[in-house]
Amino acid sequence: MCAKSIFLAALILAGCGSTPNSANSPADPPRLRAALEAESDGAKRYARGDFNVAERRFDEAMRLHASIDDAPGRTRNRLHLARTRLAQGRAEAALDLLNVADPGAEPGPALDTLLLKAQAQLALARDAEAQQSLTAAADRCGAACPQAASLNLLQARAALAGKRPQDALAHADAALKLLRDRGEAVETGNAWRVIAAARLAGGDTAGALPAAQAALDIDRRLALPEKIARDWLLIGDIRRKVGAGDTAAAYQTALEVANAAALTGIAETATQALAELGKARATSR
Amino acid sequence: MSLLTQYDADAEALRRGIRRFLLAALLAMLAVAAAIAVRQGVFRQTTGYSFVANSAQDIVKGQAVRIAGFRVGSVAQVKLKDDGQVAVTMEIDADYMRFITHDARVELHKDGLVGSATLEIVPGADQSRLAPAQARLAFSRADGLAALANQVRDEFIPILKDIKVITGTLADADKGLPGTLARIRESADALNVLLATSNRQVEGIGGTATRVLGKAEQSLGQLGQTLDATNQRLPGMLDRTQQVLDRTQQVIDHAGKIAAEAEASVPPILRDGSAAAADVREIVSGAKQKWPISTFVDAPAPATLKPDSDPRGEAGRVR
Repeated sequence: MCAKSIFLAALILAGCGSTPNSANSPADPPRLRAALEAESDGAKRYARGDFNVAERRFDEAMRLHASIDDAPGRTRNRLHLARTRLAQGRAEAALDLLNVADPGAEPGPALDTLLLKAQAQLALARDAEAQQSLTAAADRCGAACPQAASLNLLQARAALAGKRPQDALAHADAALKLLRDRGEAVETGNAWRVIAAARLAGGDTAGALPAAQAALDIDRRLALPEKIARDWLLIGDIRRKVGAGDTAAAYQTALEVANAAALTGIAETATQALAELGKARATSR
Repeated sequence: MSLLTQYDADAEALRRGIRRFLLAALLAMLAVAAAIAVRQGVFRQTTGYSFVANSAQDIVKGQAVRIAGFRVGSVAQVKLKDDGQVAVTMEIDADYMRFITHDARVELHKDGLVGSATLEIVPGADQSRLAPAQARLAFSRADGLAALANQVRDEFIPILKDIKVITGTLADADKGLPGTLARIRESADALNVLLATSNRQVEGIGGTATRVLGKAEQSLGQLGQTLDATNQRLPGMLDRTQQVLDRTQQVIDHAGKIAAEAEASVPPILRDGSAAAADVREIVSGAKQKWPISTFVDAPAPATLKPDSDPRGEAGRVR
């Protein structure tokens, strides 16, 4: 009887002391869980445009994944970190990170690394290097890959930088077709912006304006201040080339948006454009 | 009959087992209660100290009392005395009595504008004698931002008055700069007249030469007077300027002191805020990893960012 009592007590204590398993799977190890939470938080911050905190969280997640020798997790967060730095305008720092990245054998991260490298190289005006990265990315992508639209857009930007507006237009149109019905509003806005720029560079100012307006509509809906300000700059450039009377209004809007969002670079560009416009008017009189 | 005997024996054994189990449970409960009491400091030996304050503002019963940032006790009683002053009694852990010197004082610190108030016992310089139990310690409130602002105001008011006096002196039509400049102008005009006359007369040197020289002497005398007046006034003005410079230096020194004080007080607020945020995040993420919360909260899936080949919209402007 005594043995029965002890057994009963032991059973009760064991029941109280044990950690129950979750419903479907055993709980994740705490360190992996912490890494995933940091990554998830970083992604939320990135989506909100809070790039400084996002950078810290991705960095934390990358270190946590590295500390448990989780190579895919580390690579994924390194790419997130590089994207955040690109969004901050720190292309050089992003490129440094991508140059040490080891995407491993998986095709997805390797292609993403090449695309991000091309983005950084385009931002740094290293057009030849960007072209190399894009060629390598195209080889990896093959006929169709999930990143095909982004690849086409970057090829379009590289063609624009190389003063090949017709190639740029062809790539941007291809990207727009790929993006149709995919619900990727950000990339669709980018595609319209590149189309507008390519049409402007090719002398099709009548076609450029609606494309720029389409990009602006999407970026307004997504509430992306930097892109909205740049869209207005582009609209200003197009109106200026056409000789429209409301050119200054476009630059002025770009300036107001840039000032409100503390985008000093764009504000300077808009101010300079307004000054040039004023000078041109004074000369024509 | 044997069946009944067997039943009685089993029932007795079961009763014995239940009694033992209940006894063990009771003992376990007592042990837990004792552990909680020890943790709460019921059996801890404490010593009482007191101080008197003008106001009970920011002092509450149960408030932590610290030495060098470590919690060593708490406020046991806050009582309004007949004379309108506030008597505060503290219970301090007997282990920490060795830090409370006879000249120790209690300081009420406030962490920034919205931070919580803490009582800190600051040991005195004389470490050789400790305060006896139930001793009354000196009390002071650390200067807050309002006191600092008053200090700055008190320093600035005399300087502003000095500046007003000097400006008035300099602007005075007769004795100040305008008067002095007018006299200098007069002397210069007289000198010009003298030179013109000299030029005219120099060719016909004769009897008029003596008169010209006399006039020149007069004009030079006038200039001398002006310079004397200027010499008389300048030292005073220079003295006042020196005073202003001295006061300015004091202001600069004081501003440095205030900046140093602000540096000592403001960043900890920010650090505390940041640390608190980090703590909260740590607690929340820690809690999320502990049973039973971990069973309700799944770890997030690896994040994917929406594709964006041009996060800054740079494609719009061709280089």
